[in-house]
Amino acid sequence: MKALNLLVIAILTLISLIYLFPIYWTVVTSLKTNIEVFTHPPILFPSQITLSNFYVSVNVFRAVSQTAVGSIPWMIDSTIIAFVATLVSTFLIAAPAAYALVRYIKSVWLARLILFMTMIPEAVFVVPFFIIVAKVSLLNTWWGLILVYISFSAPFSTWLLMGFFNDVPTSVEEAAQIDGLSPYQIFYRVSLRLVTPGIIAAIILSFISCWNELLYALVITYSPFPAGAQTVPLFLTSFIIVEKSFAWGGLAAAGIFTMLPTLIVGVFAQRYLARGLTLGSVKG
Amino acid sequence: MSEVVIEGLTKKYGKTVVLDDISLKVSAKEYFVLLGPSGSGKSTLLRLIAGLEEITSGSIYIGGRKVNDLLPKERNVAMVFQNYALYPHMNVYENIALPLKVRGMTKVDTNRKVREVAETLHIQGLLEKKPKQISGGEQQRVALARALVRDPTVFLLDEPLSNLDAKLRVEARAFLKRLQKEVGITTLFVTHDQAEATTIATRIAVLNKGTITQVDDPYLLYEKPKDVFTAGFVGSPSMNLVHGRARKLESGWEFYNEDMKIGLGKNTLGSETEVIMGIRPEKLTVSRDSSGLAGTVSNVELLGSISYVTVNVGKTTLVVQLPGRPDMEIGDEVRVQFHPESVLFFDTENGKRIDTPTD
Repeated sequence: MKALNLLVIAILTLISLIYLFPIYWTVVTSLKTNIEVFTHPPILFPSQITLSNFYVSVNVFRAVSQTAVGSIPWMIDSTIIAFVATLVSTFLIAAPAAYALVRYIKSVWLARLILFMTMIPEAVFVVPFFIIVAKVSLLNTWWGLILVYISFSAPFSTWLLMGFFNDVPTSVEEAAQIDGLSPYQIFYRVSLRLVTPGIIAAIILSFISCWNELLYALVITYSPFPAGAQTVPLFLTSFIIVEKSFAWGGLAAAGIFTMLPTLIVGVFAQRYLARGLTLGSVKG
Repeated sequence: MSEVVIEGLTKKYGKTVVLDDISLKVSAKEYFVLLGPSGSGKSTLLRLIAGLEEITSGSIYIGGRKVNDLLPKERNVAMVFQNYALYPHMNVYENIALPLKVRGMTKVDTNRKVREVAETLHIQGLLEKKPKQISGGEQQRVALARALVRDPTVFLLDEPLSNLDAKLRVEARAFLKRLQKEVGITTLFVTHDQAEATTIATRIAVLNKGTITQVDDPYLLYEKPKDVFTAGFVGSPSMNLVHGRARKLESGWEFYNEDMKIGLGKNTLGSETEVIMGIRPEKLTVSRDSSGLAGTVSNVELLGSISYVTVNVGKTTLVVQLPGRPDMEIGDEVRVQFHPESVLFFDTENGKRIDTPTD
């Protein structure tokens, strides 16, 4: 038993290290001096620690990079876009749609179609989306990106939540029906509350994918810095100062800075995710 | 007066007939039990009365009002589910208060009413707790409280005791009976447990494969089952049912098959046909006397004050109930004695009981 436990712990530690290494490397790089960043072979533990990467911009061939501290305006844009897109797609589209599909429509084909939509590579829609967003004059605005992100996260969240609604015991909904709740009240007073872990999961996944999205942000809001609505991934590209010349230290520092919001969302949501689905409503 | 009347009720799922032409009248304040094995349609009947499923044909009247097309909430029925179906995200108080809240009752009135019902059910101390923090028995009381709080006209209980352990079940049974008397509400109770049914019901309807085989009070159901299904289903252990034929001899009527011949004394049967003979285990005796059917003991079960002895008579198996501890063991040669007056006969073809008038 003990030997087995040790083996399991060893394997888990190894996997954790593999996952944690990129984060460690980013942190270390952000603290290195510019010379140690480029040293070969790479240095695991910097001999000298500096915070200058966070606020000093790099100047290459007269092109000037952004700084991590300067990311605040992009962070605000990203936060607003990711939050609005996530909340709208989760609460106004995915949750009602998933509930209706599970309880009322019960169409396997429609459910499969939704799953299918999540499998199409997003790049397929770049041109049509650009044209649509341009035609409704939403280029370079929050709303242009929000609409695009909603259309990507809603099908996935719907698919995810269908599983959770399926697990809500029908007897609880029937009890609510007899207690006098209208179908709409049953949805938002009972069933929606019972799928809280699913809602949280949908919010986290949707938020992270909106936060990290680069391709559409590039196409729909691309204009010289600083622009009307630009998200963090675009901001990070500014550390590629000129072709093949990366401000690695600054990029790492900015990376740490900009991963904080998703980290906070994740930590906050984790305790909800860990809770049981039906919280013991039904025995046996 | 909130009586429940069901007329020609049929329920089909596609082509499967779940309930076939059910007619039933449950009087006001009656404790009425729907008894049947799983798949008999008893729960479906309850759900149709509650309005959770649509009727295929027929009518349901509650308190003289036709409710066929009414929503569950418009029927003013209350239902307790087998798994209690409490709202897990609300505490006990909120669970009980929700039906009042959605009906627009003021906070003060709701509070008074909830506390009143909680007191009746002895759950005042649990109001702040979540359903998962309380025991199964307590959850059941909360479910009952939630059902009773809005003064329903009919109370529907769907196997409410089956999730409780044996000791708690007996307690809850007595509690439910007392509560029903106290509140004075028409109650329909669904169960597959005949012991549960006979202990609480004023009347019982036995369902089998979507039809009602008999509606009677528990005593008549036990003593005078109308057909072989009811005879076999009500009572534990089951009535002994033996296939054979009846014939008239000079000494009177006789039941016989390859294992036994039993004189019926003064009782008569209408014709010499194939029949099923039924006799309750407590109506048989077994001893080492010289008279009676010769058989071999194949099992002995001691249940405290009584015991069951299984005897093989040829290919026929008979269960006999004896008081106390029997002085016999597996493999013993014994004799089984019949009391002709407590033997019932059923038609082999349609299962109906055959009258056995005495000469």
